[in-house]
Amino acid sequence: MIKPSNIEIDREKGNFHYPTSKYAFDAGVGLSEDVVKYISGVKNEQDWILDFRLKAHSIFEKKPMPTHWASRDLENIDFDVIRYYLAQGQQPSRTWDEVPDDIKKTFERLGIPEQERKFLAGVEAQFDSEAAYSRMKEDLEKEGVIFVGSTEGLRDYPEIFKKWFGKVIPTSDNKFSALNSAVFSGGSFIYVPPGVKLAQPLQAYFRINAENFGQFERTLIIADEGSEITYMEGCTAPKFETSTLHSAVVELVALKGAKIQYITVQNWSNNVFNLVTKRAMAEEEAEVRWIDCNIGSRLTMKYPGVILKGRKARGEVLSIALANDGQHQDTGAKMVHAASETTSNVIAKSVSIGQGRSSYRGLVQIPGHLEHCKNNTECDALLINSDSQTDTYPAIAIQGNENSVQHEASVSKVSAEQIFYMQQRGLNQAEAMSLYVNGFVNDLIREFPMEYSVELKRLIDLEMEGSVG
Amino acid sequence: MNPSLPSKLNMKTPFGSPDFFQAFSDKRSWEPGWMADFRKDSWNRFAALPQTKIKDEKWRFSPRARFGYSNCDQLTDSPKSTTLEGKSSEQVIFESFDQAILDHPNLLSILPSLTGPKLGSDATFLLGSSFSESGFIFKAKKNYKEEEPFICKHFAPKQNHSLFQQNIVIVEPFAEVTLIEYFDSEDQSSTGVLSNLSHIQLGEGAKLNRVVVQRLNSHSTFNHLEKVELGRNAQFTNVSLQLGSAQTRVESRGDIIGDAGEFNNYSLSLGRNNQLFDQRTIQHHIAPHGKSNLLFKNALLDNSKAIFSGLIKVDPAAQHTDSFQTNRNLLLSKKAEADSLPGLEILANEVKCSHGATTSKIDEQELFYLQSRGISKSIAEKLIVLGFFEDIIGQVSNVDLVESLRDEVSQFFNT
Repeated sequence: MIKPSNIEIDREKGNFHYPTSKYAFDAGVGLSEDVVKYISGVKNEQDWILDFRLKAHSIFEKKPMPTHWASRDLENIDFDVIRYYLAQGQQPSRTWDEVPDDIKKTFERLGIPEQERKFLAGVEAQFDSEAAYSRMKEDLEKEGVIFVGSTEGLRDYPEIFKKWFGKVIPTSDNKFSALNSAVFSGGSFIYVPPGVKLAQPLQAYFRINAENFGQFERTLIIADEGSEITYMEGCTAPKFETSTLHSAVVELVALKGAKIQYITVQNWSNNVFNLVTKRAMAEEEAEVRWIDCNIGSRLTMKYPGVILKGRKARGEVLSIALANDGQHQDTGAKMVHAASETTSNVIAKSVSIGQGRSSYRGLVQIPGHLEHCKNNTECDALLINSDSQTDTYPAIAIQGNENSVQHEASVSKVSAEQIFYMQQRGLNQAEAMSLYVNGFVNDLIREFPMEYSVELKRLIDLEMEGSVG
Repeated sequence: MNPSLPSKLNMKTPFGSPDFFQAFSDKRSWEPGWMADFRKDSWNRFAALPQTKIKDEKWRFSPRARFGYSNCDQLTDSPKSTTLEGKSSEQVIFESFDQAILDHPNLLSILPSLTGPKLGSDATFLLGSSFSESGFIFKAKKNYKEEEPFICKHFAPKQNHSLFQQNIVIVEPFAEVTLIEYFDSEDQSSTGVLSNLSHIQLGEGAKLNRVVVQRLNSHSTFNHLEKVELGRNAQFTNVSLQLGSAQTRVESRGDIIGDAGEFNNYSLSLGRNNQLFDQRTIQHHIAPHGKSNLLFKNALLDNSKAIFSGLIKVDPAAQHTDSFQTNRNLLLSKKAEADSLPGLEILANEVKCSHGATTSKIDEQELFYLQSRGISKSIAEKLIVLGFFEDIIGQVSNVDLVESLRDEVSQFFNT
């Protein structure tokens, strides 16, 4: 019998921070209307944005915590000790040399410039509230691709972004989307003109550096007719004594025939509350794929969704979650079919290690006036230790006799027989465990870009090290 | 109406009025004191129920108002509410609720300790505990084995009446019995609410096969709450046919308390017009080596709607559990609706657990095949639905009974 224990996650790569005492802009501690006005003032925003923020703030105050279905751990978030805006007055630099030294040190240690040189079409690096570095290959700029932060997006390209801003995810969608709408800062605003197909991905890198800091980035990606884009985001934070909050809103708009692929590798330190609202709208024949990997954080609540608004639109969520001691990965997917012949696919795999808990929550909705809609959902959970936990809470609402859905979920543990088989072939127990878990998530890992999948495999190998006593 | 009553839900029913309860208590003054106390306590808890929350996960997707008691202004006094058939012997007690209060008060004295399924219908559970006047008590003594089924016929009340029933089923160690429960209406036109609470306890190695056939008239409301507790090596198999009623709410809990208990729950619903089947289940594995299997199949015509919300819960101590849960919905019209909420909460790792939920229409090829053999479309559809339900009905071991259950389903299409 295998006795796995104490699997350690490699979160050390991001576990460092440089003390920054010289934040030029600091909204102080706690949330109030004044804080919202301060943030808007620093950004020199137009009146409609300030109004939008203030309205969101009042909605946030009114909304209750969703604890009637979600984890009670949410009650441990103390909104009064969080800092809502911190920036060094940095403007996103166009060249790496211009990035302030201490921020540069951070990102160099995380390997950002290296990655960019290797294979990315553009990079944005956000340090606390604002982007420190943003650059895109020149030829893309010539084609009309826009890749800027939220402040620049709304200021410099209102004719493009204002139309969709806050439309896919309304402010009042949930308490945390309201919070984000009140204090958002940073994030990526991307526009891809009709027919432009980006061969290489754009990447954003999010970094929390200060203690008690809440990061509220806002991302809006618009892929115009027939265009294609892949976007990747990575997140890290150092381990502080107290918990921090990351609450993003990500809206994707895929116009007719467009394709958006959104890849997240979330590796926050395990005291970050990661409460993110992500939703896409897919017009006729458009395709949106969310590829989501959650390894870090204390509590993640994230259910990427696709509203399939146009005929033949397609939505997909591929999700991997790893929950270790003290972690709760509450992830899932929402597929709202709003046009005929739309299809959606959800594949979620989770691994619970030690006392970790992973949950799948899903929603699939097909109204009766639609025809030939299809959904397929598969959730597989792997439990490594005897005190690991996994839950599945899907909701499937189907009308009409012209649609079909199927949902399947299974829970299993590491098979002693398979481990034994591998040991017979000369692998030691730890290697066998690693291979087993890698095999469990392998078909999803293949969907990540090569660089990421190699990294993920390495991460899993590391976690499994010392997993068997 | 008394304005101090806290809950909106309570406000809508006369059963929440202190005067109503007092009048009821006076009528039942012949009962033993502990029974009166139990009713009083239950009613007080009902009156103190908190304001119903708008968003209650246990009522997700459910048009909850349809299960209220707002259409009822009195309790039924029909003597016909339950009739019992079965071999009587020294080995078995099978009596109506009222008779048992006189003959076997010790059997009923467990009532205050029973909690019900706890899957959302607290109000119905407490009202049932306060106002029950019928139902049955069944007890099979140790080692008693009988193949001949025991039959209970429940009748839904008349226009604007409510009927609350308490049923207690105790199968002592190593006894093996079959119980069939029919639910019918007294007439075909009246609206009434039948709320049925069942408490089923199986001792070590006990075996209970139970069949439920519900064919209330199309205006009735049916609340069916049950909790099954399984001891060591006990085996419970339930097969339910939900055919009638305007709306049915089923709450079914199976608690595997003893090592290696086995809980099987099979149910079919066949809906038409505006029928609603709201089904909430839990398979709770408390002890290790348990097995549970649940299969709920719904075939829905016209505007009918089915909700299935199921949970497999495996406690940390319940290692080596095998548990399955399946929900299959067949939508036969554009306006039919099926909502599925299959859930898992797994806290032990040496387990095999899975659930599946599918919703789809009749396979065109199957239909075409039958039609090409000269079978009309409507008959072909009926045959396919009968086939769809075969793996529910087939769980019944008694051959004659299986045949009659097939007829029940088939009958549905002829009316």
